[in-house]
Amino acid sequence: MVKREREIINVLLVEDNPADVRLMKEALMEAQIPYNLYAVNDGQSALDFLRKAGLYAEAQRPDLILLDLNIPKVHGLEVLREIKYDSELLNIPVIVLTSSEAQQDIDASYGSRANSYVTKPVELEEYFSTMARMNEFWCDAVALPGNVATS
Amino acid sequence: MEHVAMNDERSADTQFCHMVESAPCGMVVVDVRGVITFVNRQMEDLFGYHRTELVGQSIEQLVPERYRAAHSGLRDQYMQAPLQRAMGVGKELYGLRKDGTEVPVEIGLSPFQSHGVRQVVATVVDITARKSAEDRFKLVVESAPCGMLMADAHGTIQMVNHQVEVQFGYEREELLGQPIEMLLPRQYRKGHSGNREAYMREATARGMGEGRDLFGLRKDGSEFPVEIGLNPIDLAGQGYVLAIVLDISERKLAEKRLAKQTLELSRSNNELEQFAYAASHDLQEPLRMVSSYCGLLARRYKDKLDQDANEFIGFAIDGATRMKHLIDALLLYSRVGRSQRPFSLLNATDCLQAAIKNLEHAIKDAQAEVTYDALPVVSGEAAQLMQVFQNLIGNAIKFRSDRKPVVHVTARRASTEEGVEWEFAVTDNGIGIEPEHRDRVFVIFQRLHTREEYPGHGMGLAITKKIIEYHGGRIWVESVKDLGATFRFTLRGEASSSERVPSMRDAAA
Repeated sequence: MVKREREIINVLLVEDNPADVRLMKEALMEAQIPYNLYAVNDGQSALDFLRKAGLYAEAQRPDLILLDLNIPKVHGLEVLREIKYDSELLNIPVIVLTSSEAQQDIDASYGSRANSYVTKPVELEEYFSTMARMNEFWCDAVALPGNVATS
Repeated sequence: MEHVAMNDERSADTQFCHMVESAPCGMVVVDVRGVITFVNRQMEDLFGYHRTELVGQSIEQLVPERYRAAHSGLRDQYMQAPLQRAMGVGKELYGLRKDGTEVPVEIGLSPFQSHGVRQVVATVVDITARKSAEDRFKLVVESAPCGMLMADAHGTIQMVNHQVEVQFGYEREELLGQPIEMLLPRQYRKGHSGNREAYMREATARGMGEGRDLFGLRKDGSEFPVEIGLNPIDLAGQGYVLAIVLDISERKLAEKRLAKQTLELSRSNNELEQFAYAASHDLQEPLRMVSSYCGLLARRYKDKLDQDANEFIGFAIDGATRMKHLIDALLLYSRVGRSQRPFSLLNATDCLQAAIKNLEHAIKDAQAEVTYDALPVVSGEAAQLMQVFQNLIGNAIKFRSDRKPVVHVTARRASTEEGVEWEFAVTDNGIGIEPEHRDRVFVIFQRLHTREEYPGHGMGLAITKKIIEYHGGRIWVESVKDLGATFRFTLRGEASSSERVPSMRDAAA
């Protein structure tokens, strides 16, 4: 078997702002990262997606979760806790990606076992370079866990 | 023998006369009808009559008009069963002089038989001197601005002054002889009599019910807050308590008003901070969209649109960037005072040096010279004090004149009632500030210059002021236009940091 230099990674983006979703797509594209981006716009959909519930029975298990904190229905921190308490899901890296720079949000996220916390830069160039570095790290530098879920 | 006896009798009479005449008190003898049969010299002096004017007259001539009717009745009663006793016990007695003036007196009565005729001798003592001392004392008690009330060991009211009448709305006569508990709200009465008994066993001068709120009950049923001082008094072996009663309604009202204002102020402060905090967070999100997509436009379509479009996109990006800085400053402003970190003792020199380090580039670019004397130890939060120095020195360099910028930082001990205070001064040789703008510079988003002249968002000094005030200090500016400005602020220190280290100068550029 030939090991591909870059596997296509599945990214679940939990983000209620469509403009932000699009911006992420642009960033991934500019970084030339082969990806499948699945976007859901609230906390409940995120949990359904991960548990293949309801509309998401056919959902792919993501390799990486990008989670905004301020999202409708189920708050981002709650989604994070649900994931980290679920033995089927807890080994998927979760990157909290938010506009908040508040120390209390940062502390609460790591306290709920976020794998990292990234503040979305306001300026485009900075946003792109941050996303590029983030994706480079999680998709290239880091070995991700195998798929433990039965599939 | 008889002659001798008569002589003896005569000499006894003479002796007796001498005794009576030289007695230190007035003496008057009346018969059963109240007719004066004898007065001594003291009596003449006291009332201003010659004895010939009195003997044969009614004793009532010496009694003030208003008492005469009662007096003759009482005299008749006394004559029925005369005893040796004082007259009018517990009452104030007055004599009427020939000139119409009255004199306070004390009178003792003694019946005797002379030649089978019943008579009464009254001794009259002028008590003017004692009375005036008493009056003075009474006047003091009556005109005292606080209620004064005396009760005996059983809690029976024995004396009240005028202020007690005013405070409680009772007439004096309604209170005397009544239990003190009538002046207490019903719910306290039971406990009070127990407390009173305990107090009597171990009476000391002290405040009543310390730490508790005390209330008095008026005649009309209303209550009012009081403060009460208790003093044990011993009168002729009997224990009494003197209570000093202060109506503290006004004070309580003022306290309540102040507490309410403090609460409202802290609530509005909190709301303001929360608003600034939430607004700056929630504003970030749409701002990021504007900024990002304008950036994307510029990146993807820069050369595909015309020159106008490029310029428009540039303005939009520039605006978004400025707004980002404003929001950051607002966030920083709202965070001052929200910090959970406690104050510690800091060497102000360390904070200053950290600020100078942060300003390294600005100092170098402007070829500025930043110097400082030894600075004291103060109480505060390091990051915030560093920010103060950074803002003030940064401003000093930014608002420089054509001269080479020179900034000097000093501190001196300021006298204050509440501990040690240090007054810092950051002096520059820049453009200065006109007098009418000296307060405006500390107001949020206030700018004295256009962005083209001096960049900035008008938050630096507002943040600085908030930090200083959060640290319990004050900040102000002194300036001569075109010659420079001195920003002064105070910080609390500690006593042991009072000795100044010898001055040293350090060029930090």
